[in-house]
Parts: sequence; C-alpha cells; structure tokens
Amino acid sequence: MEELLQVFHLRKTFTLTRKQQKINKTSETKKVAVDDLSFNAYKGEIYGLLGPNGAGKTTTLRIISTLIKADEGDALVEGISVNKNPDGVRRKIGFLTSELKLEDFFTPNYLFDYFSSLHQIDKEKANKRKEYLFNKFGIENFKEVKVADLSTGMKQKVSIVISLVHDPDIIIFDEPTNGLDVITAKIVTDFLLDLKKEGKTIIISTHIFSLVEKLCDRVGIIFNGKMIRDDTLENLTKEKSLEDVFFELYKQEVGE
Amino acid sequence: MNTIWTIVKKELKRFFTDPRMLVSLFLPGILIFAIYTLMGDIMTNITRPKDTDFNVYVVNEPNEFKSFLQVEGWNITLNEENLSKEEILEKIKEKEVDLYVVYEEDFYSKMMSYDSSSSLKAPQIEIYYNSTNDASGLIYSYYTGLLDGVESSLANKFDINSDPSINFDLATSKDTTVYIISMMLPFLLIIFLFTGAMAICSESIAGEKERGTIATLLITPAKRSHIVLGKIISLGITGLASSLVSFLGLILSLPSLMGTSFDFSAYGVTTIILILLLIIVTVLMFTTILTIISTFAKSVKEASSYSTPIMILVMLVGLSNFMTTSAIGNSLVYLIPIYNVMQCLVSIFSLSVNYLNFAICIISNVVYIALGVFLLTKMFNNEKIIFNK
Repeated sequence: MEELLQVFHLRKTFTLTRKQQKINKTSETKKVAVDDLSFNAYKGEIYGLLGPNGAGKTTTLRIISTLIKADEGDALVEGISVNKNPDGVRRKIGFLTSELKLEDFFTPNYLFDYFSSLHQIDKEKANKRKEYLFNKFGIENFKEVKVADLSTGMKQKVSIVISLVHDPDIIIFDEPTNGLDVITAKIVTDFLLDLKKEGKTIIISTHIFSLVEKLCDRVGIIFNGKMIRDDTLENLTKEKSLEDVFFELYKQEVGE
Repeated sequence: MNTIWTIVKKELKRFFTDPRMLVSLFLPGILIFAIYTLMGDIMTNITRPKDTDFNVYVVNEPNEFKSFLQVEGWNITLNEENLSKEEILEKIKEKEVDLYVVYEEDFYSKMMSYDSSSSLKAPQIEIYYNSTNDASGLIYSYYTGLLDGVESSLANKFDINSDPSINFDLATSKDTTVYIISMMLPFLLIIFLFTGAMAICSESIAGEKERGTIATLLITPAKRSHIVLGKIISLGITGLASSLVSFLGLILSLPSLMGTSFDFSAYGVTTIILILLLIIVTVLMFTTILTIISTFAKSVKEASSYSTPIMILVMLVGLSNFMTTSAIGNSLVYLIPIYNVMQCLVSIFSLSVNYLNFAICIISNVVYIALGVFLLTKMFNNEKIIFNK
C-alpha cells in the first residue's frame, strides 16, 4: 500500500501561562502535548486518531497541517516534509477544524473563488470544482447569501467545501461532526466515505467510538500525547468492542 | 453595610487588577501632563522671538517716543536710508524690512493740543508690517501695544492705522495662505493619516484572530510574506482614502474656518506630487506599525489599547511642530520616523523643501516599512503570536 502520510517521532511542548498553571493546578511551566508520536496513513483509507480531550489529537493534526511546528520529529505528506517545505504540504492537504472560520461578510461563492485563487487554481478548473462541490453539499441555493446569515450547518458545509477547493489527496478533519446536527453530520460522514471511494486519504480525530467504527480503516489510540495502539479497526475489535479496548488501554496507561 | 463593602471590594479588585483598565484609568492623567507641558513649551517658543534682529524705518518720530525702540536683548536697526515710501513698502513685502512707522509731522505737539471731544480728526500714526514675517509680526505687536497704552492714558489723543482704505498688513494673499497652511496643516494632516490607519488596522489581524479566520488563511499555500503585503497594501489604500477625504474636507473648510480667503496658487504640481508621495509612504508606515501591534494583540480591544501610546506619540510629534513655519535643516533629523514626516510636511507647505532631506525621509521610511514587513512575516510564522488567543 502506498504511504501518503508518514509521521515520525513528533514531539510538541507548550509553555504554560500562569493562568494555565492555575487551572491545571501545577507548578510545571511546560506541558508535553505530543510525545514521540509516529504513525502512517495509506492511500484510500480513513485513519482515526482516537483519544480523550487533551490527548494531543488536535496538536498532532495542526503539526501535520503546518499550522504549528513540532519541537522534534517530522511528517511527510506525499514525501514532502512539513518542516522543510510547509508551503508544499499546504498544496497537498485539506484541513478542517471547528477553529477555522469563514469571514461573515462574504458569500460562499466569493469565498470559493478567493480560496481557489490563493491555491492558484485556474478559473475554469475552479468553476468546475465549485459546481461539483456546491451541488454535492447543496450550497447552490445559498451561494450568494453572506456567511453571517447562514445557519451553523450551512456554515459547516461551506467550510468543508472551502477546505477542498484544491482537490487535495489528503484530507485532515479535526472532530468532523463536532457541533453538527444529525442531518449535517450524516452528510459529512457520507461525504468522507465518498472521498475514500475516490482514493483520497483521510485523517480524522475524534473521541466518538461510533464514528470511528463507521468510518475508519485504521485507528491510533492516544493518551497524554503518546501513541498507545496503532492498528486496523478489524484487528482492534476482533475480540472486544472498540469502547472496551479503549478503556482497557486507558486503565493500563493512565491507571484510573 | 457588609454587602456594600463586599461589592466595593469586588469592583475595586476588578478596576485595579486589570492592566487594560489601569491603562485607561491612569493614562489620560499622564497624557494631560505630557500634552499640556508640551503645549506650554510651544506657546513659550511661539512668543519668544527666534529672530531678535529688526530692521525698522520711522518717519517723524517724536523724541518722547524714541525709547520705544530700545529694547534689551533686541537689536533694532533704525534705517536712515533715504528711500521712497513705495520702496520701503516693497521691502516689507519682500521681508527685508520689518516695520515702517509714519507719524504725522509735528505729531507730539498736535497730540498734546488735541481735544478728543472735538469732531476734528486725531493725529495719525501709520504702521506698515508683514504678518507672514515672524520678526515683522512680533515688532508690530510690541510697538502697537506700547502706543495703545499711551493712547489710553492720554484719552485717545491719536489714532493708529485708522484709515480703512489702506492695507497696513503688506502680506499678500499667497503669503498668508502659505503661512497659515504651513503652521496648521502638517499637524492636522499627520493626525488624520494616523487616525485613518488606526480605525482599520486595530481590527485587521486581531479581528481575524478573534473571529478565527486567520487560521483559514494560513492553511492555504499563500506565502506569509504575500499575506502580510496584501494586508498592508489593502489597509494602506483604505487608510489613505479615509485620510484624503478628511484632508480634502479640511482644505475646503479652511477659508470659512480662518475667516480669510486663501490663494493656493503658490502650491504647484510639484508640491502636490511631493505631498502625495509623502502621504502614501506615511500611511504605509503607520499601517505597518499598527498591523504589527494588531498581530501582537490577542483581541481588537487589546490592539486598540496598545495603539493608544503610538497615537499619543504621533500627537506629541505633531504638537512639537504646531505653529512653526520652518523645518529643521539637519539631515540626520530626517532619519527619525514620524518626526521626519512632520519636518517634511512643514518644509513642503512653507515652500522651502530641501530635496536631499525629503529623499532621506522617503528612503528611510521605505526601509522602516520593509523592516516592518519582515518582522510581520516572522510574526506570522510564530505560532505563539499568531495563535495567542
């Protein structure tokens, strides 16, 4: 199988502010968010990073998507290093998280053209892509309505479409169904399965077992920034449910 | 009582432990001290003569008034040269002579014998000067002040410049325009340029951080330096448009405001080009400074707070040059950001541009902008700054 994403020994430490030290009831000035984390994702599969809040899932995805830099380690996206060529990596990936917002003042139509231009996609190709994605997500009807006037579900659809303007081979979704109503969540999960069929590689982070069971081919379980288990869903759930496996590992690792 | 005290303690804790609140509470006091002290110094400077050499013509000067032109510290030259009235008036226009005083023949005896209750015309004194010449304006004020004192003590036994058909102030409309504009516009223009940029820059990056839209932009393959330049140019254009509208409004309202007609013909195409060039560079520099602040800030409110000291600095620099009509000649001064713009504005508006100093000002500001863009690009690459929500 072709490895589209290779993550090697990532490590990321954050400096805690006094406020954060107070909240976490610690005198430590540093917090290790990601600790020697490695995994691979292959072409045409959905890889799920599963872990509780604060496990380091989002930090890992932000490093891969070049929003932040790792202290140690590297990740190769189609052979391009996030450390050495972040601009090149950005051309290859689509990244979506709830922290990425769209400017309220503009319409989906304008934003699609704007981001297509930033990705340097020629107009004809961009228009074809827009037509396809707008139809797929039912955006056509509200493409000229300002983002400010859209519902949360509509905004999420537009955000997904914007992250896919350049037809990336690797799509990274941080908590893809977080905060969505059941209908929009269904549209998103169905779309991820469609993308997989198209041969795209998808990395998601989540703490929802059912979502992993429904979508993922392989799963990486993370606690405290460390990769505890990295295996196919099939192997993980041979004898027990994913939830049971997860809590068993959690007990072993965290001891609670 | 206990409840009141509990609320008082909580409110005081809120006021005195929030750094932003402290700044907004106490900064105005510090500013008032700084601005008023500076204004006091400026007023002292305005009233203190820079030039103490005066060139004066007096005709039929009474012996009793001769001491009027003996002032300690002033070097007043009484010209004996035999020139016609027209020639002297021409010299006043050309700022070669500061004052021309014409007493009626046998003025003193006529004044003493004059009955102010009679319907006869009082003895006359004509005093010609040029209000756009600082020395002329100063000695005119001094001399008329003395005469007014004498006139009051003698129950109006003579008149000064009483003929309304004569123009005693020999400043031309063009000179007056240049004089007033070079005194006022540099200060007002620099304030407009700064406030125009501040209105939009505080919101720019800090606003995007608050709204979460900056990450969406940073995830695209667009180079950080291109994003920075795109932001600065667009903010600069908007700030420039806003400033120019304010400036135009001021220029159009100036005649009504000052109650005098303005003759802008002294300012040719070259002046307009120089001003525009300076305005563009200044707006871009202000935009760069304010964008750096906005990028560093966590929120729009914080960006506005951090921008306030810069606004004060700009105001102080503006005030330091308010009411002055000549620029500093030392070329090194034109390397100091903001202050160099102020000096160039004064020199352009007073039609005394030194092109070397102007070039130093423009080039140094372009270098500062380039350094600012470099710093901003570094800041955009620094996750601790760009994601410091």
